[in-house]
Amino acid sequence: MTPEFELEPGERVVLATRKHWFLFAIELLPYAVLALMPFIIPAFLLISPVLAPYASAISFTTPIGRVAVGVWLLVVWTGAWGSFTRYFLNLWVLTDRRIVDIKQRGYFNREVSSLLLSRVQDVTTDVVGLLPSMLGIGTIKVQSAGADEEFRMPGIPNPEHMRDTILGLVAQHTGASQPQTDGL
Amino acid sequence: MPDAPLQPFSAPSFVHLVAPSVGSLLGWFLVFILGCWAVYTLIAIYHWIRYSHNAAFALPAIATHLIVSLACVSYALSGTL
Repeated sequence: MTPEFELEPGERVVLATRKHWFLFAIELLPYAVLALMPFIIPAFLLISPVLAPYASAISFTTPIGRVAVGVWLLVVWTGAWGSFTRYFLNLWVLTDRRIVDIKQRGYFNREVSSLLLSRVQDVTTDVVGLLPSMLGIGTIKVQSAGADEEFRMPGIPNPEHMRDTILGLVAQHTGASQPQTDGL
Repeated sequence: MPDAPLQPFSAPSFVHLVAPSVGSLLGWFLVFILGCWAVYTLIAIYHWIRYSHNAAFALPAIATHLIVSLACVSYALSGTL
């Protein structure tokens, strides 16, 4: 583990989750459309008799055409891969002592925040819409004692399971009623 | 006023030596794009290695990116400049 998120002695990871894959697939959709554009545009031009002569201008046999398409695909692919990188590096980790929210907003823009389970007062799940209900995508809001802002986990898969797990761990903590000495 | 027909303008001979050809312009364009790609890729790989928490997914993801990028670059260079 990197120094940004180190487990305390005796602490164990219970659950780690990212945004639902469907939300990532939606993020990838524009890249897929952009990647297909060089192949779709000539076909569209051929539909109209007025624009048909311009279709031959987009040729993959000329050196310039190949450079243009190759560079276009490279740029689109790199953008899509960057999007995947951000998706993968955004993570919520639930340990038996705290919830850790790792936000990778961009390159060199990273935020790691922790909320001790002993401070959790309320956990709410929010599933809105037909598709999120079918796919099990929702938001979890964790209210902490004395904190003005709540801990939000949007777009996570199976939020009810996450909520139940958090509440189970909170109940364990309340039962143990031992002071927490760890913290980030 | 001379009434001789106008002669078409011809550029001085040294201009041909200085003016870049389409091929060399494309070459520089490719170098620029590949430079940007290399910097972006290095930054992304740094983040994968630094922050992926030893995930088994990091190396395959980096390898996939490099292989697909190489295919795109190969395609771009497949024409003769």
